Amino acid sequence: MSVVVIEHLARVEGHGGITVELEGDSVASVRFDVFEGARLLEPLIRGKSYDEVAPTLSRICSICSAAHTLTSLKATENAFDVHVSPQTDLLRELMFRGESIESHALHLFLLAAPDYLDYPSAIAMAADKPAAVLLGLRMKKLGNLIQETIGGRAIHPVNAVPGGFGKPPTVDQLIELRSGLTQGMADSDAAIDMMASLPAADFCHSDTVYAALRSPNLDSYYSGDEVMAVSDGNRAIVHAADYKSLTSEQSIPHSHAKHSSFRGRPFMVGSLARLTVNPRRLTGRLAVAMKRLKFQLPADNPMDNNKAQALELISDVERALEIIEQLLRAGVKDERPVPIHPRAGTGTAITEAPRGLLIHSYTYDAAGCIVSADVITPTALNAASMELHFRRAVEQCADREEAVISKRLQMIARAYDPCISCSVHLLRRA
Amino acid sequence: MSKPTVGIFGLTGCAGDQLAILNCEDQLLDLVALIDVREFLMASSENDTECSLDLALVEGAVVSERDAARLQAIRKRSKALVALGTCAVWGGVAAMDRGLDRRKLIEEVYGPTGLGYDSIPAQALHEVVKVDLKVTGCPIEKDHFLAAIANLLNGNAPIYPQYPVCTECRMLENNCMLVERGEPCCGPITAAGCQARCPGLRVACVGCRGPATDFNAPSLVAMLAAKGFDRQRIAARLRTFAPVEVA
Repeated sequence: MSVVVIEHLARVEGHGGITVELEGDSVASVRFDVFEGARLLEPLIRGKSYDEVAPTLSRICSICSAAHTLTSLKATENAFDVHVSPQTDLLRELMFRGESIESHALHLFLLAAPDYLDYPSAIAMAADKPAAVLLGLRMKKLGNLIQETIGGRAIHPVNAVPGGFGKPPTVDQLIELRSGLTQGMADSDAAIDMMASLPAADFCHSDTVYAALRSPNLDSYYSGDEVMAVSDGNRAIVHAADYKSLTSEQSIPHSHAKHSSFRGRPFMVGSLARLTVNPRRLTGRLAVAMKRLKFQLPADNPMDNNKAQALELISDVERALEIIEQLLRAGVKDERPVPIHPRAGTGTAITEAPRGLLIHSYTYDAAGCIVSADVITPTALNAASMELHFRRAVEQCADREEAVISKRLQMIARAYDPCISCSVHLLRRA
Repeated sequence: MSKPTVGIFGLTGCAGDQLAILNCEDQLLDLVALIDVREFLMASSENDTECSLDLALVEGAVVSERDAARLQAIRKRSKALVALGTCAVWGGVAAMDRGLDRRKLIEEVYGPTGLGYDSIPAQALHEVVKVDLKVTGCPIEKDHFLAAIANLLNGNAPIYPQYPVCTECRMLENNCMLVERGEPCCGPITAAGCQARCPGLRVACVGCRGPATDFNAPSLVAMLAAKGFDRQRIAARLRTFAPVEVA
């Protein structure tokens, strides 16, 4: 028996590792280990008032803090049957786009690209390829500018509150964002050039089940209440109220992240899943970029998630521009949040965080204090699928050199863009 | 002169303070030219985990024996250790559990398997090792981080506001969330440095930067109680990010 161990997975958020045990040529076991400490936020927020829930649970993860905040607000508003204004809906979608641009740019340029080009970090890569790193930093900054302008802060936004926004942005602020996004259009094309120039990563093929939010207008990270799972042309829909059917009820000793399956099979969430579930998004500049990346659906290679993120940089910038034009045409109102009238009940919200499906579900008492809270994060949902793809990559690797196997496993792990502090938050036991 | 050696570390938290460093998009490449970053697991796969360091920047709280052992090892190899962010400085959101039965909470979330997990009550860094500089904030302000590096490179310690958010808020002429709008604003006891970001957006302060020096929690509680807020609710609000006792 030989063992391949990646003790500390680098260039990802949080603390995790990979262990693969080989018996001869066959793979005996594969583990994605999570070493993140348990913060126990779900039971700790019990008794907290509804207006404190989003700012507390946002702290689950910095990179996805806008998604956690907005998903939390959507769940609370669903519990109290609150309907926000169309302007609030647009501003929330815009915040999601800003977060996605920042997160994808950080991941593609600073965390994933160094693997393809054999650098240990983007800092090392900057010495030889300054233009690529500067492009990544510029796109990242654009995403942060959107989050700061709409959310009040790039990390742990403060301006989004139950019922709407503390203070909506001004016309001048939106015009400034628009000029940044115009540069972002050219930059997102350059991002496709950068991705297309990287060597192919063709070492893991697998049938994969993909799951993503089915959004009413086919392109929303925020609206919608149904998850669609797609595999081999078969489609199935899970409603928000039945979200628990997406997760197994299994805690495992090596990880604080519970493993999930759909009808007994692991599934993948994230950019690649979003494009697979909502393929009608792939028109215009996206269709051209797809050809340049040699990207085809359905994909059987998890490394294609990196290409899917690059494609989303294009659609995120386009959608953000559309929203700003729409807001400027309608005139931005300095409106106050919709009044909240707490009542006893349960609310569930499903959205698309940068790395995939995010679910918050709360039960409140009549005074508007939390009775119970469940949070299911994309990295927890992806854990089982990551292990499946680690296994396939080792099985398909003719070379038994530990260094070769190790590098491939790390590249697959990073392609999932895992957020390991997120992954420790999971369904409370019923 | 050789460049100072630096390590950037995350214990248990949301990685928001490391992300705040990476969010210095306009300064990042200049910054890494001035210092020699030897260990930064979130950004690099080539790390020297043994070398001695002039400066260790540590975010997150200590919530496991593993965190405590890592922190002690970092302290041993570092000349100066900086606590980055509210979790490192105060314990942060994970420290809300003070006084609760941690084993019971773990079993509730993870089932019987959870009882085998390495888990201890959340602590700030200074409760485990000596801390040379505290930079609070959830997350830290980019300007405070850059000021810390610039000062430390010149052998100085940066100076941060000791006064509460209210002082900044009044200077910006915001409407008072507490007095004028009757909302449970934590501004009077929370450390300034955020330019009163939340009240400026008509949102009450949640206290994410932790307490100001010489804060007076009982006085705030009395004022909120007089406005009709439930004492238990106020106590829970004040201890979200730091162990503030209100009695």
